[in-house]
Amino acid sequence: MLDILMSVLVAGLTTGALYALATVGLSLVWGSMGMLNMAHAAMLTLGGYAAFTATTTLGLPAFAGFAAAILFGAMAGGLLYVLIVRNLLKNDKATFESNVMIATVGIGIALENTILLTYGGQPLKQPLSVDGVLKLGPLNLPYQNIVIILVVVVMMAVIALLLGKTRMGRAIRATAQNRDAAQLMGVPVNRVYFQVLVLSGAVAGICGVMVSSMTQLSPPLGNDPMLKAFIMCVVAGLGNLPGAVAAAFGLALLEAFIQYAAGARWGFPSLLFVVIAVLIWRPSGLFGRTQIHRM
Amino acid sequence: MNTHSFPKGKASAKGLASLNKLDIAITLLLIAAAIALPFFVDSRYVLGQIVLALFYATIASQWNLLFGFAGVFSLAQMAIFAFGGYATAMICFYFGWNVWGALVPAALGSVAFSLIVGLACLRLTGVYVALLTLAIAQTMYLLIVTDTECFVMVGSTCRQFTGGAVGFARFGDFGTRALFKAQWLVGNYAIVAALFAITMAFTYAIVKSPMGLAFRALKDNPGYAVARGVNRFQAQLLVFGISAFFTSLAGGVYAAHFQAIGPGILSMSQLMFIIAITVVGGVGTFWGPLVGTIVLVAADEVMREAGEFRTLGLGIIIAVSIVLMPKGLVGRLGDLAGWLRRRHAAPVGGKLAESPAPAGE
Repeated sequence: MLDILMSVLVAGLTTGALYALATVGLSLVWGSMGMLNMAHAAMLTLGGYAAFTATTTLGLPAFAGFAAAILFGAMAGGLLYVLIVRNLLKNDKATFESNVMIATVGIGIALENTILLTYGGQPLKQPLSVDGVLKLGPLNLPYQNIVIILVVVVMMAVIALLLGKTRMGRAIRATAQNRDAAQLMGVPVNRVYFQVLVLSGAVAGICGVMVSSMTQLSPPLGNDPMLKAFIMCVVAGLGNLPGAVAAAFGLALLEAFIQYAAGARWGFPSLLFVVIAVLIWRPSGLFGRTQIHRM
Repeated sequence: MNTHSFPKGKASAKGLASLNKLDIAITLLLIAAAIALPFFVDSRYVLGQIVLALFYATIASQWNLLFGFAGVFSLAQMAIFAFGGYATAMICFYFGWNVWGALVPAALGSVAFSLIVGLACLRLTGVYVALLTLAIAQTMYLLIVTDTECFVMVGSTCRQFTGGAVGFARFGDFGTRALFKAQWLVGNYAIVAALFAITMAFTYAIVKSPMGLAFRALKDNPGYAVARGVNRFQAQLLVFGISAFFTSLAGGVYAAHFQAIGPGILSMSQLMFIIAITVVGGVGTFWGPLVGTIVLVAADEVMREAGEFRTLGLGIIIAVSIVLMPKGLVGRLGDLAGWLRRRHAAPVGGKLAESPAPAGE
């Protein structure tokens, strides 16, 4: 009994780590730009496939695969800013929120389909994964899960340092708090937007590698983590990074236990009920800033 | 309801006087075209595609009513459409009803479902609504696809309550096959065209009603509108229910027309097609969804040649058109008309430039 409980716990923590990484990318963009990036799933997938190409087709070492995932994710984020977001920001501010959502939906489909046309629909094995199990008494810890949790913890630390200690991070936080005030203080807001999208693209790339190492590479790879990340963002309150991470781990553990207790198909629906319950109780999320101008 | 505190008579009279001429002309033209169409189209394939396009136009017009006019960014549109289709199929399948009898009860059931969804979602705004409705639609899809428990035995095969990954088939039809024999498709075309016409008429009435004005007020200046007693939540919930009625009615007719319904219509690409239609045609314009349907279904037929690049093309069309023309083709036409009018009006004075926007805006 105890070992089943422990393996459910390990599974929950691992998926929690993955969701946390996906959530951070989304939440960062929403918090600083008020933009919901529906193409995030496709960026995750892009990262996974970039790592696959670099290590399998080109035969490069594992760290180059990681670098490729980061690079392609960051490039996708940068291009998204240059081609879409920059142009939409020129229009009326009131319509930006919904327009950018529709536009990124389109980009997401196009990107996912490009990957499908390039690599084909059959699932591929992610070469950047480690086999083997660490035996600790009654506990079986697959190395893959340990790697994922470690990578995610390191990424969290890097992002926290980037946001907390660097000049760029200060600019991002200032823009998130108040765009107009930041601009008046001389923060180049458009450059901040560009940086945020590049950063979230890079995070998405790594997240894609991690997700595909747990399952397999397939074009709709990113959709499931993204949908769950959306839910976690909503529960935590969009734009709140520490809250999003907490919600990701909490909900992933809940999901793992429900899937164990009631069967896999009830995992997602029960998450949804939790979200709806939370939102009825607190309309802007558990840790969200209460919007005074809500109407 | 609070929204009725608007000066109803005056506003609608003014609306009638200024907007109707062009809209009436377009309507008459469309009705004539719809009646003439079966006489000119021989190909069963083309007529079938036109019927499908009418379904798209109906769903898109209701999504446009929700998003373009009421400002509810709901991604559960196909879920509600599917609910109507499934409810119709299930009533016929389990109780042996005639399709005609099942349509309205199924649509009413769907309204109840949408009101529950609305109660959960519409206290929120903007992206929260989008995310929650997307999650609800996805949950519905997952629950249907993963349904494996036997509910009834049909012959020697097991049938799930929701039809599982296969869905329902052969639960009845409109009776047009028995009535018109080889020309049954024309009969179905007439039914779907009538559905579209009724939906558009109701949509027009809603857009021009005090509620439509309330939404315009909420969009122009939310603070002032709320202070004047416009209740956003109530008004949005009402529109959510109304649009769910027509959407799910279309879903029921869709199920009866194809004599089949499956979880495939809940897929993301179907939803994207509806969004693309609305965006290309013009969000928040009355004729936008129809224009978008014509353009996109035609583009889709052309891209059918390109086969696998179809979805890619669709995604790019969505992204490019929202960047280049945020108000869609109808909005661009409106800009053009406004520009021409200003040019003509310039010598006379600025009076005409202030005249109301073109149809449906």
